Amino acid sequence: MQRSLSSVLFPEYRRRVLGLLLLRPDEALYGREIARRTGLPHGTLNRELVNLAQVGLLKRERRGNQVLYRADPGCPVFQEVASILRKTSGLADVLAEALTPLAGKIRVALVFGSMARGATRAGSDIDVLLVGELDFAEGVKALYPAQEVLGREINPVIYSVAEFRRKHAADDPFLRDVLDHEKLFLIGNPHDLAKLAGDSPAGEI
Amino acid sequence: MTLQNWLAIHRLVKFEPTPHGIAKLLAAARRNLADARVVDVSSETRFDAAYKVILQCAMAALWANEYRAPTSEPGHHLTAVQTLPKTIGVASQRVVVLDALRKQRNLSDYEGDSVSAAAVTECLNQAETLLEEVTAWLARHRPDLI
Repeated sequence: MQRSLSSVLFPEYRRRVLGLLLLRPDEALYGREIARRTGLPHGTLNRELVNLAQVGLLKRERRGNQVLYRADPGCPVFQEVASILRKTSGLADVLAEALTPLAGKIRVALVFGSMARGATRAGSDIDVLLVGELDFAEGVKALYPAQEVLGREINPVIYSVAEFRRKHAADDPFLRDVLDHEKLFLIGNPHDLAKLAGDSPAGEI
Repeated sequence: MTLQNWLAIHRLVKFEPTPHGIAKLLAAARRNLADARVVDVSSETRFDAAYKVILQCAMAALWANEYRAPTSEPGHHLTAVQTLPKTIGVASQRVVVLDALRKQRNLSDYEGDSVSAAAVTECLNQAETLLEEVTAWLARHRPDLI
């Protein structure tokens, strides 16, 4: 079986818990809710939560007779661990897998907006740009199941290669905004994107 | 979720439709569809006109079932689109697409995002299909309203 990067870096339970909490730093959740959302058994999960709180990645808060857990952005490695999760199981892996059936039609797929910048809030959507020869409904339907896994709405923007080039040449404000800010590549890389834009060097687009 | 469930959470109210009201709404939808086919205007305007067709068809479908999504309630676009499987039997997979068009409309209207050619094509196709479907549904189930 092909092992993913994140599964080698983190044991399964830790990966799921951190993927849930570190990518939602403003949400505090009860143990029971974390168990439900990660699909993990409550008992084993509890030990994991206690460990993660002990090393300072999570904060524990008592409310009545229940305990709430949330990510602690004050932890010295919070940004780094959250960034690894964004690029792996917490986001990019899930989206890339959802797009697998369409891979032959997509030249470049990337996440842009607040999710790519790591500036998400509780209600933030995931913005995805798809460039290739696919229709709107195909892209929407492929990404739809990932909404539930990630617990966020996904908004795909779908351009054909010709339209992408046209908008890029016309300096379209929306596309410029996407290209000028942080991106998380799901299919293709900065070089492929530069090629699509008309062979300008990657740094210039 | 059944239409009664939507009623219970006040996202729908009971309503008595009239043939005149339905005819007016569907005439508006046909006019918007014609506008959406005009290629000399921007993608955003074409998309907007096609989206209006979808919304008006969804509203007509609710009326035909003697409900209304009050426009004073937040989320009446969402309600109109998501009740389509229960009003005129639209497949839920298509509602996924219609809902994505609704979100695209929010992004283009309120944040100035541009609309892709793929989104315009899809919106126009969905609008055409939905207008045919709601017209056929009325003829079959509520001929008294046409």
